[in-house]
Formats: sequence, structure tokens, C-alpha cells
Amino acid sequence: MIEFREVTFVHQNGVKALENVSLKIEPGETVAIVGENGAGKTTLVKHVTGLLKPALGTVLVDGEDTTRTSTAQLSRKVGVAFQNPDHQLFSESVEEEMAFGLRNFGFLPELVEQRVTWGLELFGLSEYRKSSPLVLSGGEKKRLTLACILAWDPRVVILDEPTVGQDSIQKEKLAGTIRMLSASGKTVVVVSHDIEFLWPIQPRVVVMKAGKVVGDGPASRLMQDRGLLDSARVAQPQLVEFYDRLGSRPAAPFADPLEARRWIEEGHRS
Amino acid sequence: MMWLSSGFIFRRGTSRYHRLDPRVKLLISVLMFATTLLVRTLYELAAVLTFMIAVAAIATVLRRVARTMAFTGLFSAFIFILNFIFTRNVETSLLYAARFVAIVVSTSLFFITTSPDELEQVMKTFRLPRDVIFAFVTAVRFIPVMFLDTIQIMDAQKSRGLELEKGNLLRRARNMIPILIPLVVNSVVRSGELAEAMESRAYGSVPRPTSLVEYRASVTDRVVAVAAVVLFALVAYSFYFVLPARIL
Repeated sequence: MIEFREVTFVHQNGVKALENVSLKIEPGETVAIVGENGAGKTTLVKHVTGLLKPALGTVLVDGEDTTRTSTAQLSRKVGVAFQNPDHQLFSESVEEEMAFGLRNFGFLPELVEQRVTWGLELFGLSEYRKSSPLVLSGGEKKRLTLACILAWDPRVVILDEPTVGQDSIQKEKLAGTIRMLSASGKTVVVVSHDIEFLWPIQPRVVVMKAGKVVGDGPASRLMQDRGLLDSARVAQPQLVEFYDRLGSRPAAPFADPLEARRWIEEGHRS
Repeated sequence: MMWLSSGFIFRRGTSRYHRLDPRVKLLISVLMFATTLLVRTLYELAAVLTFMIAVAAIATVLRRVARTMAFTGLFSAFIFILNFIFTRNVETSLLYAARFVAIVVSTSLFFITTSPDELEQVMKTFRLPRDVIFAFVTAVRFIPVMFLDTIQIMDAQKSRGLELEKGNLLRRARNMIPILIPLVVNSVVRSGELAEAMESRAYGSVPRPTSLVEYRASVTDRVVAVAAVVLFALVAYSFYFVLPARIL
């Protein structure tokens, strides 16, 4: 569904942000893009909505070349929740904020009302419906931006650093939302530094370093590759590190802390 | 638009012009500015613009000055049309339009080659109130940040289906609301945070804080300053007493 064919992108200041990137993301996949600051993660996802156009190579979304389609048209299929919610909130009320995208895409008024109510309930924001989005807390703003995107039901959802400013409960809820989106057949792309957040989701992981894809595979395999993670300056999940240090251990690393606790409680101590 | 407006933002350079004392660069820009106000014919203005382009070449910022000129193109066209409507004189209208370009280039040459720190030092030499200097320098320093903010806000709103390039003038203006509101709100929030951060780092606790760098004009700086003043005097004299008032 999303395909990068030998994509190279150079910023105006001459810095090469992407170099010869080839990547295919199939419908329904959950993909995490990881790498240190400046590795090209955000630049990569901005190509999917046509916000950036490749200097060389092609980016295809549903077979459509992003250079020949407007961002607004691509956004109907691909919803992006950006890192800083303050960069998009402007309406007088939370419900108006949610309705903004829906109206831009020409949804009928009854459907707009329906989708706004659904989104606010899903993210626990119904009580703020008439409040200004600017007075919400950081975490609430972040949830609102995600609700805004999901309101028009895009097939691909891109989350850029979704855990920034979120407490542990909100992170858990967010992980639940990502699982829910995956289960409903959506393609989910998460750009994040937060390895501890990504690990329990067990996505396909794409590791980036200096504008290049240096690793691509299931989290269970890539997160055990210490050499790769060190070279890309990506931290290893604590559960994998714990697993590596065990004398006798199960066949695969623990997917979440509960699984590890259960294993210890069963009498496996080392 | 962003590409064009980046022609006004300072970037570090190593040219001889960049290395000049910032007060000398200010003097050159002020004199160039004054010269553009003295010109009476298109030929004189062309000569002044050529001189500015030569200065830009020495400062190795030709491309960026070209962007500045392109940025002013739309405003110049507007000035030309308005003048032509009221004066019905092509020469006068062109002169006013081109003069605007020259004025912007003369000021932008100073700003694109002078860092905010140098600007602060220049303002200190004029003994301006500290708060005024701080407010002005901070505003200059935040221009690139606001451009970056604008790009990110535009990206976020375009990703929500906002079409900025479509529709008539009124619709396009209305479509700027989702860009401007977050930009203004972010700027207000940022200024509040900056004020708190400055106060927590003892801003205003002493009337005359010390400076890390004290500028002293070198021999080259003095020679360039004197040459600039002499050249300006010669040009002003020739415009009024040697060259005819109308050549075209």
C-alpha cells in the first residue's frame, strides 16, 4: 500500500535527510520507525502525505505517486498526528476542532456530528466538547489531535512521537488504541523514541540511521540485535535486556511486564 | 513563500564582509539606504542597485539577496500599479517600485550578514535602553523559529485536508486562519515561557550586565567606514551637481 522506491531527499540547506530508501508497508501492518534524532524518521513519514516530495525515487500510496497528488487528497487516506498538538489546534471549541478535517473532506453535517461524538467518547474527551482546545492539558491535546485524525477514518494512521508528554496510564491507553486500530485492519505507522512503549505492541520495526534504513523486521528479532541497536543509537527494551541476562529462560523475550512477572512467580528465578 | 522569505534570515558566513565590525556594516547599509532616497532617475537607481549587488557578491550572499529581491517583487508590482494609476507616468512609477526593492536589499544586507549577538552589541553602542535592545534582538532571533513554526503548522493543517492553494482570494485569506491562530498562540506562550526563563536566570538584577565580547574596530573596519562615507558624499554630490536631473 505504501511503497518507497529508492527515495532520496535533500533539505534546502543541502543536508541529505533520506538516502536511497526502499520500503514497502502492506495494508494492515503496524510499523514502528525508530532511530536517533535526525535519522530521517519524520522526513520519511512526511513523504507519505506528500508534504515532502522526493528529490530522487518514488513514493507510492495505493499505487498513486505522491508527487502527482495533493496533500489534502492523500490525507483522506493517510492521517498524520504530528508531534506537537499546539501546531494544529485553533478552533473555538473541541467539537469544532474535530469537525474541521471532516468538513474539509466534505462529510455531511449529520455524519460530522456522529463522527465527532464517536471520537470524543473514544478518547474520553466528551466533557470538554464545548471547551476551547487551547485550555486542555498536554495529554488531552495529544488525544484530541489523534481523535481529529481518526474522525475521518483514514486507512493509514501515522503517529509522530505519540508518547511525548503522556503519563503511563495515557501511554497504556494509547497502546490499546494502536492495537484496536491494527485489529480493525488499519495500517499504523508509529515514529517514536519510546522503545518501552513500542515493545509490548510488537510491531514490525524499521531502524533508521543517517537517512538510511539499516534494519527492518519483527520487533522480537530486531530488538535482540544489540549491535544494530547500538550502531543506530537505539536503546534496547528493558524486558529484552532482562531476558538476555537470564540463565534459564523461555524461548522468546517477554512481550510485556505481566508476562515476565508471571514467569518469575511460576518459580523461574535465576 | 518560505523559500523566498528565508532571504532575510541570518546565516553564519566567513566572507570579509561578514567579518567586518557590525557597526561598519550598519553604516554601509544606512548609507546605501540614504542613497536610494537621493536618486532621481532610473539610471542612478540602477547604479546604486549594481553597487548593492557587488556588496552582496563580496559577502557571498548573492543568491540570498536575489531571493530578497524576488520576495519584494509582488510589493513592487503593487507600488508600480498604484503609482501608475495616480501619476500616469511609467518612469516615476518604475522609479518608486525599484526604489522599494533597493531599500529592502540595503536593509536585508545588514540583517543577513549580522548575527543577533552582533546586533545586540551595535544597539548597546547607541546606549539604547536594555529592555528595548532585548525585545528587538529577541524578535530578530525568533524570526527563523516562527518560520519553522509556520511550516509545521501548515503541514499539520494540510494533513487535515486544508487546501491553501485553492479558491479565490477571500477563501485563501480565510484558509489562513487555521495557520495564524496556532502561530499567534504559540508565540504568546513562548514569550511567556521566555520571560520566566530569563527572570529565573537573573535578568534585570544588575543595571549594566557585562558582555562576553567587546567590539573594537580594526584598521580595516576604520578604512572601510571612511571609504563608505567618502563614496556616499561623492555619489550624493554627483547626483545633485554633476548628473542631470532627468536622463530618460
